[in-house]
Amino acid sequence: MTMVRIGIRNLWRSKLRLVLVAALIGTPFFLLLVMQSIGDAVQRQTEILKHNVNNTLQLRARGSMGHVNMVGNEDILPQDALAKVKGVEHVAKVEPYLLAMTPTEGHNFAMVVGVAPGDTRRLESHGEAGNPKILAGRDLTDADRGKPVAIVGQGVAKWAGIKPEALGRAALTLDLKHTHPVIFALDRAPVTFTVVGIYASGYVFGDMQLFTPLDTFREVYGVPEGISWLYVRADSADNLPAVERQLRAMLGDIADIISPTTVAEFQATATAAVQRLANGGTVLSAVLMVLVVYFVMLLVVRERAREIGTLKAIGASDAGIVASFLTEAVLLCAVGAIAGALLFALWGGALAQLVFGLGVGPFLPAQYGSLATTLSLAPRFDPSTLAVLVVASVVAALGGSAWGIRQIIRLSPMEAMRNE
Amino acid sequence: MSDRNDLIVLRRVSKIYRKGNENVSALDGIDLALPARGMFAVVGPSGSGKSSLLHILGAMDRPTEGEVRVAGQVLNSLPEAGLTHFRRKTAGFVFQGFNLIPNLNALENVMLPMEFYGVPAAERRQRAAALLERVGLAARLTHRPGELSGGEQQRVAIARALANDPPLLLADEPTGNLDSKTGAMIYELLKEIARERTVVVVTHGEALAALADRVLHLADGRLATNNLERTTHV
Repeated sequence: MTMVRIGIRNLWRSKLRLVLVAALIGTPFFLLLVMQSIGDAVQRQTEILKHNVNNTLQLRARGSMGHVNMVGNEDILPQDALAKVKGVEHVAKVEPYLLAMTPTEGHNFAMVVGVAPGDTRRLESHGEAGNPKILAGRDLTDADRGKPVAIVGQGVAKWAGIKPEALGRAALTLDLKHTHPVIFALDRAPVTFTVVGIYASGYVFGDMQLFTPLDTFREVYGVPEGISWLYVRADSADNLPAVERQLRAMLGDIADIISPTTVAEFQATATAAVQRLANGGTVLSAVLMVLVVYFVMLLVVRERAREIGTLKAIGASDAGIVASFLTEAVLLCAVGAIAGALLFALWGGALAQLVFGLGVGPFLPAQYGSLATTLSLAPRFDPSTLAVLVVASVVAALGGSAWGIRQIIRLSPMEAMRNE
Repeated sequence: MSDRNDLIVLRRVSKIYRKGNENVSALDGIDLALPARGMFAVVGPSGSGKSSLLHILGAMDRPTEGEVRVAGQVLNSLPEAGLTHFRRKTAGFVFQGFNLIPNLNALENVMLPMEFYGVPAAERRQRAAALLERVGLAARLTHRPGELSGGEQQRVAIARALANDPPLLLADEPTGNLDSKTGAMIYELLKEIARERTVVVVTHGEALAALADRVLHLADGRLATNNLERTTHV
């Protein structure tokens, strides 16, 4: 205990050294916490996805894209599939879609999507990037059901010459008899939609869609019943396989069931990239900590060689002297950890955003480009943060002091006689 | 010849250091016997082996050859833990540079060897205060080394060397960093201590050597006289 007490007192021997070492050890602690916060944020995002976007199955009529006017792909699911699916255990939500295509200049065609107001507006090929941001105007509401009202992607708006300031008055007419190599004509009257909103998805093809209420779509295209796509959301990603099994048993003969790849993709890309970065950063931070402690303790041993010799000469054991130095090293690391935590509280969020933007964002698939703005990278302190700080302090102190301890043990009490 | 009551008996003690590719003989066949009381000065030119002799007497170093017996213990055969115990209980050290622990006060410095020896807290505090009073520092118990003069620091160091009441006190140039007036006070203190135990002092100072009961002249690692003869008893 005596030597531990001496170790505690030694911490305060030089205030300047204490400040410098706290800053030097605090910096890698700060980096460590930043890496942790990024890793945690991505982990949280993955958990959110598991309970939201990524636990969704898509059902289409067997062998068909389910587009009501697409050559060879016009088969749709029967209407009673909706009720059947709703009755499946662990199904949290069911969202029916109807889809058609309309030829356009420049992009071959646009998609016309019937969706219930309030349901997720998913984009063809980018279903996981649902509910694109409304740039101008408004979204569909329940009051729009059955009315020729639409919101369009900015690509469609450009093609149709619709300006944001004209929303609510702007009209877009679709000629259902207009054909295309993959679109057949429907013997239906042209329909004119009032465009009330423009969205932006970030994808060229994603911006070439028109969303109208499902009831409106049925009336316009003459589809009184049936469903193009049925999105089935399980109450959790964990229950998704069970839901999928039940759906296959129930509708496997008439429907293709498409499992989501989003969680796997997210985990394989974002989570993996962040984990790599976080692990690399953690190792780097730990190495930096150990190096700082190593040099500080080496300096301390050299500076106090005569004192160590004196302690040995007056009867201190090697173990006692080592205990005193280890106490000092652990306390130095603890002070560094506190300094790092303070830095983290002040600038952790900003640095995490920067590191994510520079170190992770460029390596993610394009659809995760906006992840940096949606991730919550604000500093958080919880018991795991404290555990990280304590464990890192002890490990850095032990690892960094190992060589210094060796030197202490090798020092002879004759060092006490050396006169500088 | 040596007496069974001698505190220190050295027989044909040699110490050879390796310096680069050369062997340097620091001590060469030293025979020495010193009684259980008295002040003994070790003098000689630089490099004559004074410090090496002190290291070996204080169990800080082992001889290359020969036998070292102090207070009945053969130091050659003691393991490291035994040497540590010897330094706690049998030998007290006084250094030229005082070597006090800078962030401990005078009382704590004196208590330190007792803590290593396992003396209970209340007893060590009492003994440390008594020792500091004996060396004239009763009013300086809570002062740290940086707040004490050189002479005061050396008196704290002497009190610390006596903490576990060792039969042997070893001093390496104890007045080397002190002015002559303060040095004379330290001589007197050591002389007084030598009435109750063996004090071996390495010194260049003639005044201190003159106070010694016996002067051991070292040259080229050899003693100038046959020191197994008990020429001095105090």
